[in-house]
Amino acid sequence: MYCRYAFKRILMGIVIYVVIIFIYSVLFNIMFAVSNIYLLKEPIIPMIFSRWIDTLTFNYGQSMVIRSFKGETDVFKIVLERVPNTLLLFTLATIIDIFLGIRLGIRKAQKVGGYMDKTTSIITMVCYGLPTWWVGLVMIMLFAFIFPFFPSSGILSVPPPETFLKRVGDVLYHMFLPVMTLVLIRFWGRAYLTRNIVLVNLQEDYIMSARARGIPEKSVLYGHALRTSAPPLLTMSVLSLLNSFSGALIFEGIFSWPGMGTLYWAAVQQNDIPVLLGNLSITTLIYIVGMILLDLIYGFLDPRIKVGKNG
Amino acid sequence: MSAEKKPKKSSSRLKMQLVDFWNEFKQIKFGIIGIIFLVIAILVTIFESFLIPFPEASTRWRDITYWEDNPRNAPPAWINWFSKKDYTPTTYIDDINFEENIMSPTMTLMTSVIEYDYRYDVPPIDLIYRGRYKGSFTLNIVLERPDGNVLNLVNKNFSSPSWKDFRVAIGTEAKNPVQSFAKKYQNSSVQSVKVNNVLFAQANETILSNPQPLKGTYKFKVNIIKTSADTIIEEPKLVLSGAVSGILGTDNAKRDIWSGLIAGTKWALFIGLLTSAISVTVGVIYGVVSAYYGGIVDSVMQRIWEIFANIPLLPVLIVLAAIFKPSIWSLIIMMCLFFWVGPVKTVRSMALQIKEETYVEAAKALGASHARIIFKHMVPILIPYSFASMALNVPSAILYEASVSLLGLGDATIVTWGQILHDAMNGGAVTNGLWWWVVPPGIAIALIGMTFAFIGFAMDTILNPKLRTR
Repeated sequence: MYCRYAFKRILMGIVIYVVIIFIYSVLFNIMFAVSNIYLLKEPIIPMIFSRWIDTLTFNYGQSMVIRSFKGETDVFKIVLERVPNTLLLFTLATIIDIFLGIRLGIRKAQKVGGYMDKTTSIITMVCYGLPTWWVGLVMIMLFAFIFPFFPSSGILSVPPPETFLKRVGDVLYHMFLPVMTLVLIRFWGRAYLTRNIVLVNLQEDYIMSARARGIPEKSVLYGHALRTSAPPLLTMSVLSLLNSFSGALIFEGIFSWPGMGTLYWAAVQQNDIPVLLGNLSITTLIYIVGMILLDLIYGFLDPRIKVGKNG
Repeated sequence: MSAEKKPKKSSSRLKMQLVDFWNEFKQIKFGIIGIIFLVIAILVTIFESFLIPFPEASTRWRDITYWEDNPRNAPPAWINWFSKKDYTPTTYIDDINFEENIMSPTMTLMTSVIEYDYRYDVPPIDLIYRGRYKGSFTLNIVLERPDGNVLNLVNKNFSSPSWKDFRVAIGTEAKNPVQSFAKKYQNSSVQSVKVNNVLFAQANETILSNPQPLKGTYKFKVNIIKTSADTIIEEPKLVLSGAVSGILGTDNAKRDIWSGLIAGTKWALFIGLLTSAISVTVGVIYGVVSAYYGGIVDSVMQRIWEIFANIPLLPVLIVLAAIFKPSIWSLIIMMCLFFWVGPVKTVRSMALQIKEETYVEAAKALGASHARIIFKHMVPILIPYSFASMALNVPSAILYEASVSLLGLGDATIVTWGQILHDAMNGGAVTNGLWWWVVPPGIAIALIGMTFAFIGFAMDTILNPKLRTR
């Protein structure tokens, strides 16, 4: 049952990807035709299809200005070598943020309406419209220039340290400021959502019966309430990872983190359209893969899907 | 609610529902705070021109001549309260009264004395005398210092048959007299003399190397000799371009940041409210229609929704903006194209429930049209949810615009907070610690975001009774 669900979901994802790439191709070709960036010699309809096929086969063409770290001009290679850096930064930030956010959220749900719940909820709302990249700017100004504790940009020192361990340490040192900024802004929102999800579950009868049976509060919270809240919590976490991934690309540019966001930044500045489009396709691909993974894990955790309706 | 028999009742039922909603909303403290903030933001937009010293900031933000009298990168004036030294703030002296003496049929002497009380430690960056004129005249400015020294600063001729601006920067015009004045007290080999440092310094042997401020009343005697009968001079003013300036300082293009910030408020509200209103309306109707028709329509609409939901929004916006160079309108349209997906899923599940209600069935049985059922019976129930969703969408619309602007892809004919931050990043505000340029626009974005978050979360609490905190 689960296999069929998984197969359907993956197939669906692939179809969506193909359709989205087609939409991009139509959109951008029409825009090129309108704004005359490329002098099109061919008629537009064959162009749309040839570009569609090219993009689907990862044939993004050559960059105009931007080079890869090794000096290549192949757009696919330029984008691909930046993907791990981006994933590293956002995955680490999200893991820390999930850990802190869920803990705080459960504490909030436990004493709803209490002093801590109220103050942290206010902070959540204050942070709601706060641009992460702006906080990043302020952090850099404070902790890299006014009080020079941390490096302001990059992933490695110049020249990079020689041993592997030292290099890992150096990367972590460079990551500290961006990761801290991301966590500091995000985890309030996550705590608030966790609180709402757990709160609804805490009002269920089985919690009352667990409490009535004298099961310790800690095990009621972490064992019973958190267990049933796991699927929505997980959805929310992965979804926010994906959103942070696509939304915080600006954030990377602020910290000159050599990932895909900084590539957008550079491509916009130098008007390198092949790189821009290639980067967009890869971003979309990662985004959709993330969505598929999310549904697969959700299906695995949710018994109704895992066992199937008839099971 | 019991079934009403009179046909007119459905609009009043909606009204009652909204009144109930408002009564509940009033109970939530932070919701009220949000409303107050929103009212303040709207008031700021309405009374914009009274709040800012540069009323044309909105339209002439990128016009260098409009800002040329301000100092560059000056901190806000209120840092004087915290620092040991007092910095001269930017001052505009424009109530200048002339005494006219007609000397001959063609020559008229106009004199005026501008008194300036200098009680600061750090002198202004520059002194500028400016105005508009037609005809020809000679401008002569003599400074009488508190210690009795008299310096002849400027002698300059102007002539133009048509209206023209004149602008005399004393800092560059008066180099020679000031230099010879300073050399009387200190013999220094220093070639370039900072005019304003000397003008406002005590006349002693350290006037060049370590100028001490000379506090007191400075008298600028401005003598204008009109050398033709038809000469007219308008709007004369003396500008002291200070070491500190305005409420929030200036940027590296001499622009007053406070003016930019206030002028940006209306754009933030406009972008946020319009985008979220359009996209949520579209999304709600889309969800209701999808749920109401069901079957094949529903699955097609849900597939389309899925495709839109899988597009990473910000990168697409950036790429579109980079190729398209959007105006503010096209940016709003682009955002609406993707923002409508937000409420669809929730609305659809709510509409599926409403669809099964007896009054919808009754309406169907009475032969009401599809459109009537959707817009008269289903959509109104979702209005409170739509408002909450709109409120929570406003900050993200503002944020997206700011992000696109930060990359330098915003509409160049207006001023938004994101654009100020873009200039700040490019102008090295971060590396040089020019906090008054970086911090306020971000706080403004955060404040507006917070306002709508307060309102939205308050509505959310009403709509989800399970989240009540007793």
